[in-house]
Amino acid sequence: MPRLICVVVSLFLFYQGLAQDKFTINGYIKDASNGEALIGATVFIKEIRSGATTNEYGFYSITLPPATYSVNYSYIGFQPISKTVELNQNTQISVELQAETEQLEEVVVRGEIEQANVQNTEMSTNKLEMKTILKLPTLFGESDVIRSLILLPGVSTVGEGASGFNVRGGSVGQNLILLDEAPVYNSSHLFGFFSVFNPDAVKDTKLYKGAVPSRYGGRLASILDVRMKEGNSKKMEVTGGIGSIFSRLAVEGPLIKDKASFIIAVRRSYIDVLARPFVQLLKDGGALNFYDLTMKANYNINRKNRLYLSGYFGRDNFKFDATQGFNWGNATSSLRWNHLFNERLFSNLTLVYSKYDYALQFGKDDRNNFSWNSSISNFILRPQFTYFINSKNELNFGGDATYYTFEPANAVGITNGNSVDLSLDKKYNLETALYIGNSQKVTEELSIDYGLRYSHFQYMGPGTAYTYNDTIPGARKRVIASTKYNSGQNIATYGNFEPRFSFKIQTSETSSIKGSYNRMAQYLHLISNTTASNPLDVWNPSSNNIKPELADQFTLGYFRDLGKEHTYELSVEGYLRYTQNQIDYIDGANLLINRYLEGDLLSGLGRAYGIETYFQKKSGRLTGWISYTLGRTELKVDGINRGDWYETRYNQTHNIKIAGFYDINKRWSMSGNFVYTSGTPTTFPTSRYIEQGILIPYNANDSRNNVHLPAYHRLDISFRLEGKKMKDGKERKNTDYWVFSFYNVYSRRNPFSIYFSQNDQRLPQGQPLQSQATQLSIIGSIVPSVSYNFKF
Amino acid sequence: MKTIRTFISLILLLPLAIMSCEDKISPTLESAVPVLAVDAWLNNKPQDQVIVLTLSQAYFDATNPPGASGAVVIVSDDAGKVYSFTEDATKAGNYVWKRPIGQVFGAVGNKYKLSIQYKGETFEASSRMGRVPKIDSITYDTQKRVGSKDSLTRGQFWATDPKGSGDTYWIRTYKNGVLLSKPREINISYDAGFSAGGDADGVVFITPIRRGINSNDQDSSGKTLSPISKGDSLNVQLNSITLQAYNYLNQVSTQTNRPGGFQELFATPLANVSTNISNTKTDGSKVLGFFNVSSVSTAGKRYK
Repeated sequence: MPRLICVVVSLFLFYQGLAQDKFTINGYIKDASNGEALIGATVFIKEIRSGATTNEYGFYSITLPPATYSVNYSYIGFQPISKTVELNQNTQISVELQAETEQLEEVVVRGEIEQANVQNTEMSTNKLEMKTILKLPTLFGESDVIRSLILLPGVSTVGEGASGFNVRGGSVGQNLILLDEAPVYNSSHLFGFFSVFNPDAVKDTKLYKGAVPSRYGGRLASILDVRMKEGNSKKMEVTGGIGSIFSRLAVEGPLIKDKASFIIAVRRSYIDVLARPFVQLLKDGGALNFYDLTMKANYNINRKNRLYLSGYFGRDNFKFDATQGFNWGNATSSLRWNHLFNERLFSNLTLVYSKYDYALQFGKDDRNNFSWNSSISNFILRPQFTYFINSKNELNFGGDATYYTFEPANAVGITNGNSVDLSLDKKYNLETALYIGNSQKVTEELSIDYGLRYSHFQYMGPGTAYTYNDTIPGARKRVIASTKYNSGQNIATYGNFEPRFSFKIQTSETSSIKGSYNRMAQYLHLISNTTASNPLDVWNPSSNNIKPELADQFTLGYFRDLGKEHTYELSVEGYLRYTQNQIDYIDGANLLINRYLEGDLLSGLGRAYGIETYFQKKSGRLTGWISYTLGRTELKVDGINRGDWYETRYNQTHNIKIAGFYDINKRWSMSGNFVYTSGTPTTFPTSRYIEQGILIPYNANDSRNNVHLPAYHRLDISFRLEGKKMKDGKERKNTDYWVFSFYNVYSRRNPFSIYFSQNDQRLPQGQPLQSQATQLSIIGSIVPSVSYNFKF
Repeated sequence: MKTIRTFISLILLLPLAIMSCEDKISPTLESAVPVLAVDAWLNNKPQDQVIVLTLSQAYFDATNPPGASGAVVIVSDDAGKVYSFTEDATKAGNYVWKRPIGQVFGAVGNKYKLSIQYKGETFEASSRMGRVPKIDSITYDTQKRVGSKDSLTRGQFWATDPKGSGDTYWIRTYKNGVLLSKPREINISYDAGFSAGGDADGVVFITPIRRGINSNDQDSSGKTLSPISKGDSLNVQLNSITLQAYNYLNQVSTQTNRPGGFQELFATPLANVSTNISNTKTDGSKVLGFFNVSSVSTAGKRYK
């Protein structure tokens, strides 16, 4: 590590020396209507035909030789601003961009700025504008970040009700989900029907599927970076909505005008409230609800210092009666401090606390009950620096330290007043990382990003480490030894270098070729062997028995803008990812409250490859996209499928998504999406046999995932009616709109799974047992819904 | 952990059941050669002991499985005693050890070896008869049904796991003389709790296991029937099983107890359950099933 720091420092000095006769233009780009920083807005300097984009805080910085420059500031959906700058000293220019109105949209001449996708070195990333998310047809009338993500190329899900998402053939646990930099360990409400992100409080969503910058790490398949709104710094604003499942309300506004602002957003489901008079269970103290609270405040201390404090708290609550039930939820909080060391050195220091926990309680009286809870919590310290060297180089470096506490199970059973403690040991871990990366424009045609991340993981005492004998592949491993460790003693340590590299070759004004290689290491493992991940799944750290998961991904893509005003965008990307130390499970694995869990885990190799094509129409009355992914993802684990490669449960050969938005007139607009995916693989039996009166299915070929479910397809449509803009001849201060959504328009019974069982009837002795196959559709009919949304 | 899964899905059923649907289907399955399946669960109850040999069938075959005739079936213990099982002339594939009057099969602590010669191949397995505590009593209690006026009567058995970790049991219940043998009625325990590492040693069996002796049947409208009505009787048999058998039954339960609905979200993939029977020839034919020798304690009571 000291060597890495040396390199950083010398690079630093080297560039400092070079840059002496240059000056810097820097500042922030914001939305004029509410003062929100614009992430990824473009600053383009005509004279050098190059520029910069704003970072997550809306900051940009460019260093140039003295001269007169024409600087263009722009952001999709906003009117660009041009400024002429006579650069003979360091200059601060912060601009506020006005949103384009519909009338303007047709006439604005777009500059190079609209081609971000072609001209950026970034690849394998998708940004979903909140605007788009709010327009997409919804399930139960509620816009949802994660359900919207699933419409993007390379992103899939195993079905309705399944939490999380799969990226390029990775598992649900291989996505790092960040909410204002705090990790979210379970992104779902009501199992998988809704995500924890409140659309009223989210500003920006970005998904990295590949070419991951060196500042991110810790998961193999993707990084989902969700940024919250800062809160309107100009005026108080209340937004909200009333839907069939839950209602939302958000309040935002300035604390000190243009200096400090806040946002508080809440959501609460109310099926149980509405149903209480009719359902005895709810009258008896039962409950069925979820809620969340998202808040953020920021304070602009001065030009060089700014503080952000954000928090999220959400919980799902299910209660059978007043004493028995089940609940789970996330809590995150992050404090960030932006500091400008000088005109070109931007820094951010982040402190995070985040926790996911669940709890169950059974049993009606004090003498006989069972309670169980489990949690994962962490503290993070993350200093990050960006050094804007010149118009051609942008250096990022920093570090990351996360201290984890795992509580796999605190469980107590009380029988006749005798309490039995079933709790498992806590686990303590420290994950640290150092990174450095440079984005370099080598020539006008060639840009490269290169970086290196070194990550390190420690599994520490106090705790007991078990050693297992591993003789028969696929069978439960037996404990042969256990070693006790004291507080602070190392049980296992791992370190990995993670190189990151990507390039862009501009083949013409409107087309480019990009490629990347990156290695990712993952030290936490989501332990789940069920069809869909569920709230009881536990995260398990790497240990003396479980090695860190590693992935090497290669991507190559072609990007092109089409049409006179670059109205269309086309991209084709191929990816290939090899993974190591992938986790699978022995048959009959016991994953909950099991001290010897690691004896039930298997380790193997994975590979995933595919081609993603994406065609988008960005402007006009009709906008939308078509995405097609052809892919495959497989695992090879000793003891499963005769040791041969087998498809993962979430493999989808074909994955087609079409989303369209059409403005019918000033008040009505409609949107629709269509999804078609190949059926996911599953295992069918070949035979049956009977043991002690129980019919047991048997696959004589020992295969895993040997057949595919029927294909999944679905059409959703939604209509949006804007409220009247004028009232009594005057413009209304408030805006509102209705959304009418129809999910699964043609009532397709999409199979979630097919399962095999014996007929449930009790048969007279000697009668043959009957076997049956059942296809389950989570949503088997059209789901209409309506919601009313307002802003004042 | 089944109980927990059931619990979750019950909760989920409430709002969403209206939208989900299930259809019985008849998919085409791969064909496969029949495999010898051994059903050898012996015990020390005062009765004849039967080992059933059958051949596996196509999954959707709706007939009784064909018996595997002509095998030589022998069980021997570590003291050199040999028990011969001879095929029942009227029931192909049933091999019976006729109990001499006044004797039972086996003794606690002894080890047993099963040997089957079938079609020129030899299949072997071993087991050990573990200890079993006596059942102190069976009690009945009636609770008002949640959200309704009528009530449900359930039984529970009371017994204490002996001190010393690692006793494993299969609790089998006869209701009015009929064995409750549905997949969801598999009731096994590790010491007095659900699983190893649970520190539930030497205590009274925990509530879900004590109560796991009830049938949970529903009528055609999906309403849960009271497991016990006036005049019903329960006979509970506490069988000691080997740890291997405990693991085996856990797998059987996972693979066969498929109530469907939202529980499918949390279902594990279909996988073959293991066997403790092996072919003496490494590349020989496959074999299925299990060999276990139990000691049994029983208790019965009628609900009046």
